[in-house]
Amino acid sequence: MRTFLAIAVLGGGVAHATVGSALRIADVAPDIPLIVVVLLALRRGPEFGCGAGFVAGLLQDAATGGLLGVQALTKAVVGFAIGVVGTRLRVSQPLVQVPGLVLLSVLEGLARYALLQMFHFPAPFGELMTYVVIPQALYNGFLGAALVLALAWAETLKDRTS
Amino acid sequence: MRIRALALLGIIAGVCLLLLTLQMRGSGGGASEALAIVTTPVQTVLARINRATLGIWGTYRDWKNVRVENHRLREEAQRLRVEALRVSETDAENHRLRRLLALKQSLPLETMAGEIIAREWGGWVRSLTINRGRGDSVARLTAVIAPEGLVGRVVDVRAGSSIVQVLTDPASTVGAHVVRTRTPGIVEGEPRGTLRFKYMARDGGGLQVGDIVVTSGLGGLFPGGIPIGRVRSLDDRGAALFSYAQLSSAVDFARIDEVLLLTGGAARDVAASFKSDG
Repeated sequence: MRTFLAIAVLGGGVAHATVGSALRIADVAPDIPLIVVVLLALRRGPEFGCGAGFVAGLLQDAATGGLLGVQALTKAVVGFAIGVVGTRLRVSQPLVQVPGLVLLSVLEGLARYALLQMFHFPAPFGELMTYVVIPQALYNGFLGAALVLALAWAETLKDRTS
Repeated sequence: MRIRALALLGIIAGVCLLLLTLQMRGSGGGASEALAIVTTPVQTVLARINRATLGIWGTYRDWKNVRVENHRLREEAQRLRVEALRVSETDAENHRLRRLLALKQSLPLETMAGEIIAREWGGWVRSLTINRGRGDSVARLTAVIAPEGLVGRVVDVRAGSSIVQVLTDPASTVGAHVVRTRTPGIVEGEPRGTLRFKYMARDGGGLQVGDIVVTSGLGGLFPGGIPIGRVRSLDDRGAALFSYAQLSSAVDFARIDEVLLLTGGAARDVAASFKSDG
């Protein structure tokens, strides 16, 4: 289980830059590490979510050549927040999962933008939201919900066989 | 638990902000280098896996596209083949009808075009059914011709169709003569579907293979000069009363689709109308 978690966190962070392009639709790629962090935080709580978000984000920063610490911080916050509120939400419902992940992705994008603004990030906010954050958030929402359903199905299958 | 988590978050936030600050001041290269030691080999492996997977996927998609295209091209080829057949069929029909029309216009007789709607090709009877009958005022024993020559005669008239006895019918006899020698005789059908020319002439009457045999016009049933066939072989019986010549029919009865019925003026010689075919 620990190995799986390590692969999920480390792999998710690094794979995003390498394999993520294969999942590109109309030039929009999902934020796989964010989805992984959310899934893990929902299952393992805020502490694990925070750590996983930090590691995945840091690797993502390193893999993509961005400023080290930006995504590490935003994903750590997301992991923590989801870990805290996850137990109070009925996240098994796709009607919660899809908009939840979309909203979370938008918030993560806003946080990242705010953080980068402190370091004089030049991209205009409107364009960034229109062409990057919102399309990616929508993609994350549907892909994440599909992954949650797939995991639930796999677990049901595992329970039946054991 | 919550305090531990909050403390972790605080530490992480602090580390991140420190990293960012260091980078902005131009001294964060070491951390990037250290992380690159971890990320680069993993990225290399993943990139290879990704490329291999995409390669397989691309090959599969290419194969699928080729299959789809192959299927589409097959259908296209099939459609074009059918189209070509239809066009060639129409072309052939057009050609036949033009010849029939030319014959109809050149004949000094009243004619009526008919289409063959059935064929009886057993050895006992050899006949064609045409789509002209009592309603078209077709009379029994009307001569039936094609652009190549004589086909036969109407032996039965029905409401909307007529039965034409073909020359090769075993019961068919037509008065004829050889164009080159004017040797008279009778063309008879044979059970095996061939024609023979029966004539009275000593020493074969001077007939040669290739001679053209046409209707004589005697008896008033068929106009004179309609091609019947060419002499294919001679059966000279010496002193016998009759000699025989096997004929190749001028008309391919199995392949004709349209005919002309001679509905008036049967006594006239029409050899000139078949000159180009003779």
